[in-house]
Amino acid sequence: MSLPPLSDRSATVDAETQHRIEQFLYREAELLDRFELEEWLTLLDEDIVLAVPVRTARHPGSEQSEFSDESNYLREDYEMIRERVGRLSKEYAWSENPRSRVRHVIGNVRVLDVTDDTVDVANTQHVFRSYGDTADHDMLSAQRHTTLRDGGDGYTISERTVYLDHSILNTKNLTLPLL
Amino acid sequence: MSKRKKPKEQPNISAIIERTGTALEDGRYPLEIMNNGDLYQSELRRIFGRAWNYLGHVSEFTEPGDYARRYIGEDPFIVTRDESGDLHAFLDSCMHRGAQFCTAENGNTSHFRCPYHGWTYKNDGTLQGMPHMREAYQDLDEAEIQLEAAHLDTYQGLIFGRIADDGPSLEAYLGDFTWYLDVLFGATSEGMTVVGEPHRWESDHDWKTSADNFSGDSYHVLTTHQAGLETESLARGPWEELDDFPGASYLACTDRHSVGYYLSEDADTFMGYPDTLTDHLDPELSDEQRELFGRSVFHFGTVFPNMSIIHGIQSGGWGGPWACIRKWNPRGPGTTETTSWWLVPRELAGDDEFLETSHRGWESLSPGGAFESDDLTIWEGISDSSGAVTHELRETEGNMQQGLGSMTDEVETVADPLHGPADVTTKGLYFDERNSRTLLRSWYEMMRTDGDQGDDS
Repeated sequence: MSLPPLSDRSATVDAETQHRIEQFLYREAELLDRFELEEWLTLLDEDIVLAVPVRTARHPGSEQSEFSDESNYLREDYEMIRERVGRLSKEYAWSENPRSRVRHVIGNVRVLDVTDDTVDVANTQHVFRSYGDTADHDMLSAQRHTTLRDGGDGYTISERTVYLDHSILNTKNLTLPLL
Repeated sequence: MSKRKKPKEQPNISAIIERTGTALEDGRYPLEIMNNGDLYQSELRRIFGRAWNYLGHVSEFTEPGDYARRYIGEDPFIVTRDESGDLHAFLDSCMHRGAQFCTAENGNTSHFRCPYHGWTYKNDGTLQGMPHMREAYQDLDEAEIQLEAAHLDTYQGLIFGRIADDGPSLEAYLGDFTWYLDVLFGATSEGMTVVGEPHRWESDHDWKTSADNFSGDSYHVLTTHQAGLETESLARGPWEELDDFPGASYLACTDRHSVGYYLSEDADTFMGYPDTLTDHLDPELSDEQRELFGRSVFHFGTVFPNMSIIHGIQSGGWGGPWACIRKWNPRGPGTTETTSWWLVPRELAGDDEFLETSHRGWESLSPGGAFESDDLTIWEGISDSSGAVTHELRETEGNMQQGLGSMTDEVETVADPLHGPADVTTKGLYFDERNSRTLLRSWYEMMRTDGDQGDDS
C-alpha cells in the first residue's frame, strides 16, 4: 500500500447528510483560515488524535507504505492541540507573527464509512499560504481523513490524519491553521 | 519558499573570506556571508567538497541491498550496503551519459539499472553489464567502469563521506569531538538506532545559520521560544531539576566542532531515560564519560559543516528524551533542505511507551513543532536581509562577542576531565558565543584556501 488507506472504501449517504458534512468542513476551514482557533477547538472531541505522517518517495510497487506509521510531523492529543492554540495566540509565537494569509480550498468530499454515530470522510485540499511583506506564497496539497462524530447537535471531529502530497515540505513550518 | 535569489556582484570572494577571518578575531563577522551566491559556490567546492559529510546511520542499512539517497553539498549520492556487508556511497550519475538511476528515497536492491540505455550496476558501484554488451563494447575494460564513489568511514554508527581524495582521516577530522560522540551515540552497548523516516523540509535560510544555532546558542531560547516556554506543559517535568541554571550549563569546543549541554547534580539523571537504560551502559565508556552521561539533561551541538545533534530531555508534556540528527543540506544561497532523523538507544527500541513520549520530544522540533516553527521564521529573515546590498556596501559586521576578552566576567573556564578534552566554559550557554565563533572559524579555515586541506593523519 503506497497511497493513503482509502480509496477502496466508500459509503452512500443521502444528499442532506452529504450537504451537512460538506458544510461542516467548509465552516471548519474558514475558522482555520481566520485563525479563530479557540472556536475551532470547540469542534474537537476530547479524545481526538490529529496526525500528519511523514511521506517518503518510494518505487511504484514498493510494499512499504509511502506514509510512515512511526514518524509524524505532528501527532497530537486534545491537550497538546489546546496548548498549541494557546501558544499561537501569544504575541511572540513568531511562526505566525505576522500571521500567514491562509486559504483552504476543499474538494472531493467523499464519505468512506458510516456507523450509527460516526462518519469517515475524505477530502482533498489546497492550502494557500502567504507570509510577511512579500508577493510570494506557498501551496500545501493534502488529502485529509476525518472521523466525524454526530452527537445530535452537530458534528465534532474525533480523529484526523492529514496525508501530505509532499515528501519534502515546501514551507518553512507547519502550523495548525495550515492543516 | 519561492523567493527569487538575487545574483550578487562579488568579484573578489577572497577579500570577504579574509575579512571574515580578521573580524572573527574580534568576535565579528560580515553579515553578507549568510546569503551570498558567489561564496555559496565556493562553499560547495571548498567545504562540502573536502569535509567529511554526514550521510546516515548504520541502523538505516542493516540488510544487504539497503540503500538511501543522500547528499554531499548538492550532489546526490546513494548510500548502499552491498551483498558482502560493506557500505558505499556513489554518485547518482551513470558512467555512460550521466543519467540518474535512483528513483526512490530509500529501499532495497541488488542492482541499479540506468533508465536511459540500461547500464546496470551492482550495489557496490561496479558494473554488472549493459544491453548488447558483447556486440557493442568489444574493446571495453569493464573493470574500469564504476560509479564515482565518495570516501566513506563510520564513527559510532555515524556514516560520513568525502568527495576529495586528499585530507585527514575521519577520526582525525572529528578530532577530540569523538569523546562527545562516544557519550551521545555510544553510551549503551548496542548504540543508537534510527526510528521511522526523517522529517524533511525546505526553507529560505542559510545552512550556516542553523548550524550555528545548534552549535550552542541557548541565548536565543529566551526570546525566540518565549511562546513555547510559557505553555502550561513546560512548567512540568524534568526541567525543574535545573536548580542551578544557568550555572549548570556548559559549552565545549574542539578545533572544529562544538557542543553545549546542561548537567544536573543528580548523577542518575541520564537525560530522563527509563531506569532500565543503566543496565545497558557500554563498559568502554570512561569514568568521566559515564558521569557526564549520568548527569546529562540535554546536549546540542554541531559537527562542521552541516550535521547537528540534539540529545536529551524535552520537558513535561512536550515529551522526550530523544536524540535527533540534523543535516542542513545546502540548496542554493540562503536556502536549506533540512533532514531530521529520530534516534533512540537500540535497547529501548521495542519499548512502545518510551517510543511514544520520545516521538513527542522529536516532534516538538519538527517544522510542525512548538519550538522549531518559531526558529524558522527568524532564520528566513536573516537570510533575506543578509543579502542586502547595504551590508555589502557598508561591510556591515554582526556580533558574536559574548565571552570574549573582558566582555563578561560571568563565564568561567572549566578544567575538569568530566567535561572531556575540549575548551570548556560554564554559564557559557547564556554568556558565551564561543561555539558560534568556532563554527565560523572552521568555515574560514576551509574557505581561505583552494589548496590542500591539512594533514593526512
